[in-house]
Amino acid sequence: MKPLEGLRIADFTVHAAGPFCTHMLSQLGAQCIKIESSQRLDIFRKPHAVYGRAGPATFDQVASNKLSVRLNLKHADGVALAKRLVAQSDVAAESFRAGVMQRLGLGYEVLRAVKKDIVMVSVSSSGQTGPDSHFAGYAPLFGAWGGLGYLTGYEDGPPVEMRHVMDHSVGMNAALATVAALHKRRMTGLGSHVDVAAREVASSLVGEALTASSAGVELERMGNNDPQHAPHGIYATDTPERWLTVAVTSDGEWKALAEIMGRPELANDACYATGAARIARRSEVDGFVRHWCKASDADTAAALLQSAGIAAHVSWRASDIVADPHMRGRNSIVEVTESNGKTRKAIGFPARFSKSDAPGMDRGTPGLGEHEDYVFGDLLGIGARERARLVDEHVIF
Amino acid sequence: MSQDKPLSGIHVVEHTSGVAGAWAGRLLAAMGAEVTLVEPAALSVLRRTAPFLPSGESALFAYVAADKKGVICDLETETGRASLASLLTAADIFIDDTPVKGRASLGIDEAGIAARYPDLIHLSVLPFGAFGPKADWSGAEINLIHAGGEGFLLPNGLSANMFPDRPPLKIAGHFAQMQGGVVAALSALSALWSRKGQCVDVSIQDANAAVGAFAIQRFGDGSVEHRLTRSFRYGGVIACSDGYVELLTLEERQWQGLVHLMGDPEWAQDPALNDAVARSNSGDMINEKIRAWACQFEVEDLVARAQELGVPMARYNAPHQILAGAHEVARGAFQNVQTVADGVIKVQAAPFRFADAPVGIDAAAPQPGAHQYILDATPPVLSKRVTI
Repeated sequence: MKPLEGLRIADFTVHAAGPFCTHMLSQLGAQCIKIESSQRLDIFRKPHAVYGRAGPATFDQVASNKLSVRLNLKHADGVALAKRLVAQSDVAAESFRAGVMQRLGLGYEVLRAVKKDIVMVSVSSSGQTGPDSHFAGYAPLFGAWGGLGYLTGYEDGPPVEMRHVMDHSVGMNAALATVAALHKRRMTGLGSHVDVAAREVASSLVGEALTASSAGVELERMGNNDPQHAPHGIYATDTPERWLTVAVTSDGEWKALAEIMGRPELANDACYATGAARIARRSEVDGFVRHWCKASDADTAAALLQSAGIAAHVSWRASDIVADPHMRGRNSIVEVTESNGKTRKAIGFPARFSKSDAPGMDRGTPGLGEHEDYVFGDLLGIGARERARLVDEHVIF
Repeated sequence: MSQDKPLSGIHVVEHTSGVAGAWAGRLLAAMGAEVTLVEPAALSVLRRTAPFLPSGESALFAYVAADKKGVICDLETETGRASLASLLTAADIFIDDTPVKGRASLGIDEAGIAARYPDLIHLSVLPFGAFGPKADWSGAEINLIHAGGEGFLLPNGLSANMFPDRPPLKIAGHFAQMQGGVVAALSALSALWSRKGQCVDVSIQDANAAVGAFAIQRFGDGSVEHRLTRSFRYGGVIACSDGYVELLTLEERQWQGLVHLMGDPEWAQDPALNDAVARSNSGDMINEKIRAWACQFEVEDLVARAQELGVPMARYNAPHQILAGAHEVARGAFQNVQTVADGVIKVQAAPFRFADAPVGIDAAAPQPGAHQYILDATPPVLSKRVTI
């Protein structure tokens, strides 16, 4: 059995952050029923033009493994059906703006009335409470509000916008909090309303800078530098766009690096002997490494540095990741089979379990409403005639 | 402000020196688990890691070790190993980030732990995991953000426009390692849910590839992303007269709101811009106009007007602005923590909550060996979990 097998999620989430939460829980074994309607498709299922072309964005990864049903939540009977589904579920997940679920008649108190120990997880830009709770937002705004964007950037440049790793960080945190709430239910019998604020997730990722600020120590953007270690950075190699990252974190590693670079005289030069000395001469030290890297093959150099205990890795593109024997061996890269029989590469669950069945994706992207026979028929016990009526009346729509 | 925490009664022993493992322990502690940090005699390296508070204490350690108990226990010695054994007897989760080849001599290898503590969740958190050709590789933050794929794609937007020839850029702080920590905590709780004692092997690289999954999907779709071309076509980081804002209009009504915000300029009335794809293809021109317009205004004024019109815009907040933010203050996102050397500091308890009130922080990061008494009780006196 997968770790979370036996749990069921009524999944009202849309966009990226919320669906990534349920995507993680689904890979861990929970049965996830995605609720959409043809009138209100998940925006990630729809084409949009933000990248300069009108194609669907990036729906497949997070929708894989989920079951799909249509439900018109603008119709009273649709809301009633949603409640019946929640009554059969352990978790209800949503990612609308704060207040939308209440307006739909599906707020936490309502869901609790139909399932007293329901774990409801709400993912939003700014949380369920507070003066900004009504704000809509996207990943770059979460990063901007939360400080992660301000602190990221070249020393002499502007802040940097966070992209979907920000959304997915939010989803990962939401998945964690959901499982914690399930443990509470197991121990106490009580459900919870989990409130995940994306901007607070962004802040959590630079929490040390916020704590420092509270004591009067203000951090600013520092590019790729590390305040305590040098050399530390990313360097061009003999091939364009094949960058090598190197982090020397001890004096011993510096000596080893000097030898590898063919500059043994640097190893014992007092000017570079300590971390503080190298920080003081950061640009000089970086220059030595830059010079060596420029004439090196990135992959060979990374392996060589690692063999001497120096942290190094090539800056990887997607094409490197999908081909990597290490990640493939770990099931970090998997093949997913779509309903049309085609396979595609996807990212698997990022942990291995020694005794549970491996998390992962058993199915590809569900078609809209693909699993209504099971969900409405088997699970909710709705007969064929009643289902036909619900379809006719645009409740299942 | 405190509430019943969801993981009350769960015991965690943490033997870590890196941010990822420490962050996993910290998240579990924030949710109510009793987390005991086991430090060597030389103490956690995180106590010596920047940034620093005015006293010289580490702000990073103050943040990632809040709410933990601390014991000093040298696993190089028999006494230390016996102490750890006594802790593990009563633990639900053991977090360890010792490199694989160093584990057996400390008595914490996977097989040994599994044999002695069959019900324990043994959570291994390493840069490249405990299994596979790179299991022994080292990985600092800058290596890991690039090993997971996101590093190659940064920066984008304004920064990439300004410095197209510079090397890629890491995300601030310990982003990549914290992803590993969140995945580790999630995986450990999932394993605990299964009621199967087992080893859970977390790779920080894998965690980062997972949160960067869209790059892999887009690669599968035939689209290779690059930092210079991944930018949103218009909007993004916009300079105002006194700082920066983020602007992103993905929906038609948001674009219309932006046009109105800009005073309905003539160039925006061009019928060619009515189509979203055409607009996107005119992104450079639109951004030039937006940038020329926005630099005349102050951040606060512009953001307030944007929000009134439903235009997604946010100030790029500096840390002190977040701590003082009306929203953050109203939600109690940061809590006062009394420290020995720096008085009262503010710490974010957790990026999620389980009711209207935030989860509370009960204690500052431990002083070295502050809870040594835990090791004196044999076996340690620990509250029992109640499972229904």
